[in-house]
Amino acid sequence: MTKEKYLNFILITYLIFIFVFIFTPIAFSVIFSFNSQRFPTIPLGNFSLEWYIKIFNDPGVWQAAINSVIVSLVTCILATFLGFCTAYSDYRYRFKFKGLYLALVLLPPTIPLIILALAMLAWLSKIGMSGQLWSIICAHSVLTAPFAMAIIRLRLNQIDPDLESAAWNLGGSEWATMRYVILPYCKPAIISSLCLTAAVSFDEFAISWFVSGLNKTVPVIILEIVQGNIDPQVNAIGTFVFFTSMTLVITAQIFFLTWQMKGKNK
Amino acid sequence: MTTKKNNRRNFLKLSGATALSIPFVSRAWASTVELNMLAWYGHGEPDIVSEFEAANNVKFVPKYYAGGDNMLALIAQSPPGTYDIILSDAEFVQQLNMAGYIEDLEPSDYPFDDMLHEDFTKFPGHWANGKLHSVMVRGGHLGVSYNKTVISEEEAQSYSCFWKPEVKGKVGHFDWHLPNLGMMSLYKGNGSGLWDLDNKKWQAVQDVTMSLRSQVGGYFDYGGTFNSLKNGEMLAMCGIGDWITGVLEKDGAPVGSVIPKEGGIQWTESYCIGKGTDKVDIIKKFINYMLSPVGQVKSAQMAAYPGFCITKAGRAALIEADPKEAKRSHQMEGMPNDPIALINDGRIHYRDIPKQQTLEDWNDFWSEYKNA
Amino acid sequence: MKPTKNNLNIYSLTFRLPIIIWQLIFFVGPVLFMVAMSFFLVKNYRMTEAFEFINWTKMFSKNYFWDSYWFTIIIAGTSTLLTMLIAFPASFTLAFKVSDNIRRWAIFMLIIPFFTSYLVRTFSWYVILAEKGVINALFSYLDLGPFKMLNTHIGTLVGYMTLTLPLVIILQTVTMANIDRNLIEAAYNLGCKPKSIIQRVIIPLSKTGFIIAAVFCFILSFGDFVAPFYLGGSQEPTLPILILDTTKSGQQWPRAAVVAIVMMITLFSIAFIGIMTAYSKSFKK
Repeated sequence: MTKEKYLNFILITYLIFIFVFIFTPIAFSVIFSFNSQRFPTIPLGNFSLEWYIKIFNDPGVWQAAINSVIVSLVTCILATFLGFCTAYSDYRYRFKFKGLYLALVLLPPTIPLIILALAMLAWLSKIGMSGQLWSIICAHSVLTAPFAMAIIRLRLNQIDPDLESAAWNLGGSEWATMRYVILPYCKPAIISSLCLTAAVSFDEFAISWFVSGLNKTVPVIILEIVQGNIDPQVNAIGTFVFFTSMTLVITAQIFFLTWQMKGKNK
Repeated sequence: MTTKKNNRRNFLKLSGATALSIPFVSRAWASTVELNMLAWYGHGEPDIVSEFEAANNVKFVPKYYAGGDNMLALIAQSPPGTYDIILSDAEFVQQLNMAGYIEDLEPSDYPFDDMLHEDFTKFPGHWANGKLHSVMVRGGHLGVSYNKTVISEEEAQSYSCFWKPEVKGKVGHFDWHLPNLGMMSLYKGNGSGLWDLDNKKWQAVQDVTMSLRSQVGGYFDYGGTFNSLKNGEMLAMCGIGDWITGVLEKDGAPVGSVIPKEGGIQWTESYCIGKGTDKVDIIKKFINYMLSPVGQVKSAQMAAYPGFCITKAGRAALIEADPKEAKRSHQMEGMPNDPIALINDGRIHYRDIPKQQTLEDWNDFWSEYKNA
Repeated sequence: MKPTKNNLNIYSLTFRLPIIIWQLIFFVGPVLFMVAMSFFLVKNYRMTEAFEFINWTKMFSKNYFWDSYWFTIIIAGTSTLLTMLIAFPASFTLAFKVSDNIRRWAIFMLIIPFFTSYLVRTFSWYVILAEKGVINALFSYLDLGPFKMLNTHIGTLVGYMTLTLPLVIILQTVTMANIDRNLIEAAYNLGCKPKSIIQRVIIPLSKTGFIIAAVFCFILSFGDFVAPFYLGGSQEPTLPILILDTTKSGQQWPRAAVVAIVMMITLFSIAFIGIMTAYSKSFKK
């Protein structure tokens, strides 16, 4: 017995160590955002809010933040819509070339971002769409639709297979069934998908940097500062983005959990 | 049925477009003129432009690049007329001109009479066929950048200090081929012909560069260069000058840059007016502002990276406003490392693009070097 | 399978078509254009449409291209192997040794890194890995070091792991947690030692999930430029860095396209082999 306990102890310690590895950069970044030194070293300087003040006073950062929010919002709606349609098609139908259809949707994550970014910039320049927020939105939705599709598809797996046919037998049209049965059932997955795709879009920098031109998003600003100036502003922005995203995700989780609880109590 | 659908679609389109254009609409209501600027990092930041913006009701929207080639790539990839004002390194101005990205300028619009050095009045690269295309606003020198605790000022008087065994694995490169290979060319004693290399000389430069490979600790962009020098990961850096070490020095790091005996390279920045812009007058006003004493002092004190003043009035204003910085950057008459004196002594060579090879050839070799 | 009546009515097409149209315009289009672009020429910093093989011949003839290619495969492969090994004990613990609740919270916490900027996290490593940094400070108390970690392969690997470790742990944990506990219990009851259980029950049953995790890990590492550039000091440069170098200078998009296509073909092959192996029915009794 003690041998097993010893093993468990080692495993748990190892697990904690791994978590430390993963979270140390985040913790340091938050700490440095409050550090007075411009080039962080150990030992730390004084506590200072100067970097936060700097980013709050910079209209460029605000504009980028607004751009990021707009892009994420439109992307998450678009990606979730596309993902839902695809997941439903996969769930409900058998058709020719279904494999090819699925490959079309699921391929983007297998291509490195930098290649996608390169291709999109060239293509969008050619069709005259480069340099606008719409360009980033289109690119991001291609990137995130597979995730939306996967999430919703998993949820559809859990649906009672006879539910839809039951609704039809009771006289509902396909559209009505979709509206009153399928969609409400998928709501938690749809919300998760909206949050996840928004978050992925918010932090995505490779595509945004190539494609955005003058309409920058927050990750592009971070990249520019990093490439041009190197300043703890980057940490301040990173910390700010982090807490915003966390709030989004926690809200979504709470929503999801309470929904599940309600479902269990029915 | 279809008209309803169309109306709905149109409405959605319209509201979508409105939503996306709100930031721009609100700025138009405030009737602030927006100037799209293409420049090295820092030129559109508040410490340089906020006074001008407030006084003239304009707003600079900067897009930053790192390296002349990068600038050309960016501008070629954007729709024509995207940029109103372009900051360019001297040697790339003619590329911009040949590709049709910039306007011709009227020399009488700008104060050429107060320059500290006569070369600045007719700086090579800014003029072509007697026409002015770009106005010089600042410059800086590239040489040996080193950590003072490991390399003495005496040793730094030659590029050979990069090969010192004590700094093995701690020599860094700024990740751009042009200044680095230029320095290697100077080290080979090519002097003022450093950009004009025949096959034999070009091979010699490549060989000497390769011999440095075992000393190299990494290739860095801005952020990496600053960080590495500051925390001592790198003890010497090739391809940069006071524009980086000046910032670090002000921050208290034991680093510095000197012009070695083989010579140094001058980078020169100038403003061009983008072709097709309709805001020519305000851009002219801004260029004049940057050449005025106030602007020159701001340029010398730029937070991103310092440059030296090029006008007499500018230098005088700097000595009065910030004597500490003037002293640190040797911008005082009679100081041994006065940038102007260095130019007069022939120890400075203006940066240029390679004459007998293409930029591509140099970039190719740079990739080879990195992979060695 | 579900009944598939009315395969081609308005209803079904409404759901089937949007993604097809969208992907064709914004995914297939760019990729095909990039393939075409690899045959274009660049004159005076302007790309002109053409059909020449010169970009391919030039790129393939460069030693630095092939050096970079093999190096990228090796370092991405090493990173994948290391990450999978390092993640395994942690995922094992999460799948079998903690309560359901803790597991859910752990997975939730592992999703957090995805919401922080990868760039910003990379920068934090500077201070930790520097020769005068935190880790070396700790080592100096033990009279060891200082060790050089930045601007070496170690830096690059740490960077890759920052990117991929959370994802790999999540995938491994979910895979193992979904194994039917009855099977494990049955093996235990039949007298199997724990080590054998791992070898002959858990690992084979997790094969699919693990291979998918490894494939994703490899793809992410292979295509990342932040880690080898900022933490590895471009020593040596990987293919993504080469793409950036080629586009930054002289506007050589066609050459960059060549590198990108070679990368894509490599990744597709590896993903294909991975998926074939993952779904092959080679479960030996």
